[in-house]
Amino acid sequence: MDIALTAPTDTAEHHVPASIGHDALGDLRKARRKNRLAELDWFEAAYRVYLVAIGFGGTALWASSFIKDSKVAPGTVGDIYHYGPAVLGMLAVAAFAAGVRSGARGGPLAIEDADVRHVLLSPVDRRKALLRPAFQRARSSASMGTLVGGLAGQLAGHRLPGSDASWVFSGAAFGLSLALLFVGAALVAHAIHVPRWFASGVGAALIAWQTVAIVQHLPGPGNAYGSLALWGMRQRVLDLAGPLVSVALVVAGLMMLRRTSLDALARRSGLVAQLRFAVTMQDLRTVVLLRRQLSQENTRSRPWIQLRRNGGSAVIWRRGWHSLLRFPVSRLLRMALLAIGAAACQLAAFRGTTAMFLLSGALLFLLGMEALEPLSQEIDQPDRMSSLPHKRGDLLVRHLLVPAVALIPFAAIGVATIAVLDGTSGAIAVAAILALPTVWMGAAGAAVSIVKDAPDLGSVTAEQTMLPPEMSGLTTILRTLLPLIVSVLGSVGVLLVRGAHTLGQPTVQAAIRASIGELLLVALTAQWVRKRDDWKLKFKSIMAEGRDVTAQQKAQRAGSSRSTS
Amino acid sequence: MNQSRHPKPAGRHPKPAGTTSTDRTADRTPRRDATSTSSASSSSASSSTTATATRTPTRVTGGALAANDLTKDYGDRPALAPLTLLVPVGQRVAVVGHNGSGKTTLIRMAAGLLDPSGGTVHVMGHASGTPDARAALAYLSDTPSFYDDLSLWEHLEYVARLHGVDEWDQVAADLLGHLGLYERADDLPNTFSRGLRQKAAIALAFVRPFEVLLVDEPFVGLDSSGKAALLELLDQAEEDGATLIVATHELGYVDKVSRLIALRDGELVHDGSPTDANVADLVIPG
Repeated sequence: MDIALTAPTDTAEHHVPASIGHDALGDLRKARRKNRLAELDWFEAAYRVYLVAIGFGGTALWASSFIKDSKVAPGTVGDIYHYGPAVLGMLAVAAFAAGVRSGARGGPLAIEDADVRHVLLSPVDRRKALLRPAFQRARSSASMGTLVGGLAGQLAGHRLPGSDASWVFSGAAFGLSLALLFVGAALVAHAIHVPRWFASGVGAALIAWQTVAIVQHLPGPGNAYGSLALWGMRQRVLDLAGPLVSVALVVAGLMMLRRTSLDALARRSGLVAQLRFAVTMQDLRTVVLLRRQLSQENTRSRPWIQLRRNGGSAVIWRRGWHSLLRFPVSRLLRMALLAIGAAACQLAAFRGTTAMFLLSGALLFLLGMEALEPLSQEIDQPDRMSSLPHKRGDLLVRHLLVPAVALIPFAAIGVATIAVLDGTSGAIAVAAILALPTVWMGAAGAAVSIVKDAPDLGSVTAEQTMLPPEMSGLTTILRTLLPLIVSVLGSVGVLLVRGAHTLGQPTVQAAIRASIGELLLVALTAQWVRKRDDWKLKFKSIMAEGRDVTAQQKAQRAGSSRSTS
Repeated sequence: MNQSRHPKPAGRHPKPAGTTSTDRTADRTPRRDATSTSSASSSSASSSTTATATRTPTRVTGGALAANDLTKDYGDRPALAPLTLLVPVGQRVAVVGHNGSGKTTLIRMAAGLLDPSGGTVHVMGHASGTPDARAALAYLSDTPSFYDDLSLWEHLEYVARLHGVDEWDQVAADLLGHLGLYERADDLPNTFSRGLRQKAAIALAFVRPFEVLLVDEPFVGLDSSGKAALLELLDQAEEDGATLIVATHELGYVDKVSRLIALRDGELVHDGSPTDANVADLVIPG
């Protein structure tokens, strides 16, 4: 071998110049952009833009349908003046808390693994190398915040005093400030290596403070931001403190980019790419798993309580409990928060904000996704399950038992939430009747989502491949939305109870009727889980028989036409 | 970027050594000799003994790689017990151990890709992760990583230039020729097979200058010619005075090193000459 390897700089004697590799970094990016543009399918890109525009337009129209066009009463405007800044300020506090938490867990940047290996491990100034991805991250968040905020402002302008333009501006400014607050807080928290426990503590403390500010009408940490959102009807120079803090945090974060942890970037690089792919494929289970890995939410090595071994029939029961008993505290807390949030949404829906039942259903769907971990794990291992001497449906339905029992405490948390927020015996009684069926319906939607991703026992059917593109697109949308629809159906009960209340009928009886209906749907879902494979096979055989009959008829017609001729 | 995708590389890239009369002027200057290191590092090479003897409570400094009470744990699971280690300049070290023994954790922390839970690592006297440490250290991973939109040749150009090397093309061509990749120079390495990806990663590790080379499971996926090519490159780097630290399951490689470090369940169980130990026993899980 005769290769003259490049002689190294003696780093013990000579320091690496600060400008090393700067030109190469610029050239690298130019070359990559050029190569990407050469590969870009412009028609595909235009189609994506079209889809995004349709999506946003549809969302705007859908949201508009919930907003009446008449202006609100002067009393309500007064309430918004007094309580609006604190209530909307909670969003700012939540954005800050989420940012600090993201930074403590290695966010908010996610760059390619190749960049970590080749650029960040080279002596190139890391601040220079990371400045562009950080700026792009801030820019994309800011764009999204501005868009969503502007849309919300436009909707608010329909009902509140002030011009539409001023509301759009204030909404956009509010959304932009929140987005920058999130990114800035995350960048700074990452750079100063905030411990995760500290990030959670700071977030909880700020949310508690803002809650007190809402209830007791005291100044809260997010009030300036909330007040900025009301610039459509009043302007205060003091409110500019919010955006200034956001910008200052982003600038500080960008200045401290050299302190970015390569460990976090290396870990996140692969996960974020997989996460994007899973989102593209509407693979919710993978999204959940990757989110957990991204936030380093590890399952406990040993369960909180070790169950004793019983006979063979209890093996699924024990396996399910050991799965749930390995949940870390953070996941259990998140599940509790989901239950509290869903209960609060149910109460809001009962009090007149109808759309909140949708949010309640979505939150219960997420709670169900967490609780159905044992089932998900089995679906994740299709080869192992198919090797067992049992029908798959029988096994899957038995995996639903432990989550159903485990959700009982969370239903109780929901009832307790209603007791705290409302406190009347009537509301508590209705909550006690509706809570468990509603929580189970949320989990039923999650079960549908998980089980439908299980591979088919047969091969791809001719029925699927013969569907026209329009139909298969509709099928895909239905498959994606169906689980959520099932979960949301569980939250419809509260609307039935509200209807009874409006008509002056007994609410408890309405709650009982609604919960019976929900329990029937839960049972139907369990039956679907159990019999899905059988039903699919039966459907396939019917279709095959139909094709055979059609083929025979064609053959007969062909035979008779030949004999006639 | 001055390369276009076509025509074939032979028309544009320099030929590998032996196929061209190109006069290479960039001779590899010998690195500092091992004997010129600090007393601490030179003594370490000769006094390689068992783990208990070499693990001293005092802080080690200098050398090519100095780890002081380096530790890593993943939640409730310790991956590396506190480790104090000094590798002198120019030494060739093998790190062995069973799966999960802590080899990759040690290598990745030394490379700056993993944050230690405690302790420090210095490379050529510079804290790990600093620009000087990054300039001195090359890391060859067992899981190569490439850009989706750059050819192998473009990768070589940028890696070399990011390390401040302007005269890189002849070395790159020689490396590709040596590894049997010259004809694939204009292809995207992400489309390569496992073995070819590993060879491409080897070329990227050697196209840039380094004083310390960290290698993690280098022989995985390589065919016999690839293994031979890598061993030749490692030999040449050693001759040039580089420090080589190789984590491997390939016990045959241990014969080529002057120092063997064995880890078991995150604990240092051997640090000394490979002749002092039964290597097969050292890689059995505890």
